[in-house]
Amino acid sequence: MLNIENLVTRFGSVIAIDGVSMMAQESKITTVIGANGAGKSTLLRTISGLEHPSSGSITWKGQSILGKRPEEIVRLGIAHVPEGHAVISELSVEENISMGSLFRRRKFKSDVSAAMDEMYALFPRLKERRKQLAGTLSGGERQMLAISRALVSRPQLLLLDEPSLGLAPLVVEQIIDSVNTLCRTTGLSVLLVEQNANTALSVADHGVLLALGKVVADRPASELKADAQLRAAYLGY
Amino acid sequence: MRAVSKTKQKSIARTSLIRTLVFTVLILLVGARFDAYNQGQLAVVLILFIGVLSVTLLTGISGQLSLGQGALMAVGGYSTALLMINYKLSLWVAVPLSIITSALAGLLLGVAAARLRGPYLAGTTLVIALAIPTIANRFMSVFKGDEGLPVDVGYPPQWFSNLFGEPTYEQWQIYVALPFAAIALFFASNILMSRTGRMWRSIRDNETATSLSGVNFSRQKIFVFVVSSSFAGLSGALYGLRGLVGPSVYPVSLSLLLLTAAVLGGIRSITGAFIGTVIVVFLPDWIELVLGNFELSEQVSNFLPALISSLLLILTVVINPAGVAGTRLHRHK
Amino acid sequence: MNTFLAALSSGTSRGAIFALVALGLVIVWRGAGIVNFAQMGQAMFSTYIASTLINSGNSYWIAFFVALVSGAALGALLDVLVMRPLSNKKQSELLSSESMRAAVPVIASLGILGVLQALAGIIWAAEERGFPAPAKQEGFTFAGNVLPFTSFDLFVVSIVTVTLIITTLFFTKTGIGLAMRATALNQEVAKLSGIRTNRTRTISWAISGAASSLAGLLITPTSNLSPNTLDLVLIVGFTAAVVGGLDSPAGAVLGGFILGMVISFVTFYDTPEDVFLAILAVLLLVLIIRPRGILGSMDARRV
Repeated sequence: MLNIENLVTRFGSVIAIDGVSMMAQESKITTVIGANGAGKSTLLRTISGLEHPSSGSITWKGQSILGKRPEEIVRLGIAHVPEGHAVISELSVEENISMGSLFRRRKFKSDVSAAMDEMYALFPRLKERRKQLAGTLSGGERQMLAISRALVSRPQLLLLDEPSLGLAPLVVEQIIDSVNTLCRTTGLSVLLVEQNANTALSVADHGVLLALGKVVADRPASELKADAQLRAAYLGY
Repeated sequence: MRAVSKTKQKSIARTSLIRTLVFTVLILLVGARFDAYNQGQLAVVLILFIGVLSVTLLTGISGQLSLGQGALMAVGGYSTALLMINYKLSLWVAVPLSIITSALAGLLLGVAAARLRGPYLAGTTLVIALAIPTIANRFMSVFKGDEGLPVDVGYPPQWFSNLFGEPTYEQWQIYVALPFAAIALFFASNILMSRTGRMWRSIRDNETATSLSGVNFSRQKIFVFVVSSSFAGLSGALYGLRGLVGPSVYPVSLSLLLLTAAVLGGIRSITGAFIGTVIVVFLPDWIELVLGNFELSEQVSNFLPALISSLLLILTVVINPAGVAGTRLHRHK
Repeated sequence: MNTFLAALSSGTSRGAIFALVALGLVIVWRGAGIVNFAQMGQAMFSTYIASTLINSGNSYWIAFFVALVSGAALGALLDVLVMRPLSNKKQSELLSSESMRAAVPVIASLGILGVLQALAGIIWAAEERGFPAPAKQEGFTFAGNVLPFTSFDLFVVSIVTVTLIITTLFFTKTGIGLAMRATALNQEVAKLSGIRTNRTRTISWAISGAASSLAGLLITPTSNLSPNTLDLVLIVGFTAAVVGGLDSPAGAVLGGFILGMVISFVTFYDTPEDVFLAILAVLLLVLIIRPRGILGSMDARRV
């Protein structure tokens, strides 16, 4: 579904992504793992249009999305949950989620509120707090909110960037479980970037290991998980 | 932070001194070849250069956008005028004293503004710039309202004429402005290269990090205002000595003029400040040169310089915010 | 007693106009994240257009309508020509510092102000013009006394109230309003939500442009029109927005009326020359005591 070939992204003289080629298969969870600075976040940001690559190609459902603006890429069905500040603290929970479905209001009017209800069903804590300002939420709730904002746009591919960052293991488990369930029940494709390789490889179907901007391994997740040598060399455990 | 070593301080001072000497010599050489009108313009360049430096230090280096530099110039101008008229002091005494009053005004401004950022700072300083002329009208007995206080550079002392020959009025204007401009250049150059300059830059670049590293930047911000206001006051004093100190001499557009010059030339460097001042002062002449052959109505020609400099300002900010001098010239920016 | 009433009524109608200016500033702040110092320049420009139309024989209301439309168009044009390239500009060492990123749009808006004033001078020769009012400028009669409150004042106050209501509803209840707020608060997240941020920002500028034209049309009858008359209005509008809270439309109106009263009372009971000092005093007071403004939210000071 998503095909990346020889992608190169630079920041000035620093090459963050150095000729990466990989795929995200339909209705599967593909995880991109690697140490800090390996280029994982940059990869997602390049796919979603926040960064412009210097060369290579990205095709989504047969069409090239290279050079398109982020707001257009969302409308094509790819939703990105960036790491860190993915919600707007000064807006309410409800408003944050609504943001994601604004562009659908004209064509899919009736579905918009249905989508929002689904998010509240998925993350009941958000429903409790829906009038509260996003800035008052806990870390885990904010992550749920960010994911809801992305999901409410009814994407076919979800780009999830380090959802576990700064969160307690129990919360992380909850969130990853929800995403996993979503994938298996609705066929949502997921591209998951994670530093916590163990957790990621446990839910993923396929794994891509990045180091210094290059693909070091591209295999079924179970194989990667079992390869102790690779883990020790690149992931430190 | 470790103190800068004595040798480093000395080498900074030496570099600044060399720059200042080169500057002085160049001005004298160029000035000698100019006709009277352009000599007068050159004097204005020297005067406004000091004012633009105040913007460079405040906005370019420490990142605080002030639209009230014209008001601080007015403080310097009025101080000088009052000292010269009421106390019969010579300009060579009055002007340095005005630097002190301007520094005080800067202190007040800094205390009020240190907590402000961005548009709040800009707006507040703009209001101050507009408020100053009304003070002049309010206390007419002292400040003589719109009429203003007439002062000028006077005549060169006898010993000077004996030594160098009698200068023309325009030449004398240059000879009065030059030492002050040179001194301003020296101090600005020093500051830019010193540890103080680095601290100011860190205020501009990353407030959060700076405050975390223990720098008391509220105090530093105020200090920047004091220093920058001293420059502005000096410039204002000399500006008034062209003939009149009054509200019409220091309008709000003067603050904008300084800012435009700083941005056009390059807001982060001294060279940029000078280039910008030259552009802003000579622009009307250049326009006339290019368009003098066209029959332009008075309507158009009155407003054309303002139109072009505003357009240049927009273009600079949109296309090349670093200005003519760019970011290449100095290591420390 | 008469002085008091006169001051009160003058304060109300002036306050209404300042409220409108402040509202325009708040709209751009909430929708585009910057303070637009060129705003009154835009107002001046549209009012000149209206004045030209009236002088060549058109009715007041046609000129009124054209002024609003041209104000919106001018606002949109300024965003497309200047602000959009500015915000899309990525690489520049200068823009890597927080304060310069905030300062650059301000400087750009000052440049725009300069251009508009110079253009007005070139096109209309900076001649001072009068401007008609759509309603009578005589006071209402009540119980045999003439009140210092005219039908024009009533007109002004009603328009401002309506505008305020529409604006608040717009920002909080509509999708575009939400898109505008999101764009101003966090452009990246807005983009990732599918919001066309460039277009949204242009709309904010257009609406604000229309609001400023409205202010220009309302204030000019009581003074004269020249390229520089509205500078003072901008200052007061800015102060009003700060006093009320830069991100609150209701705050803008409150601030406008407060300032209208302050100026009015200072003018009537003291001397007009102290007006600027009074404005400065109010501004400093608010910035020291409650920087976020009376109705501003905690983040109103975020730059």
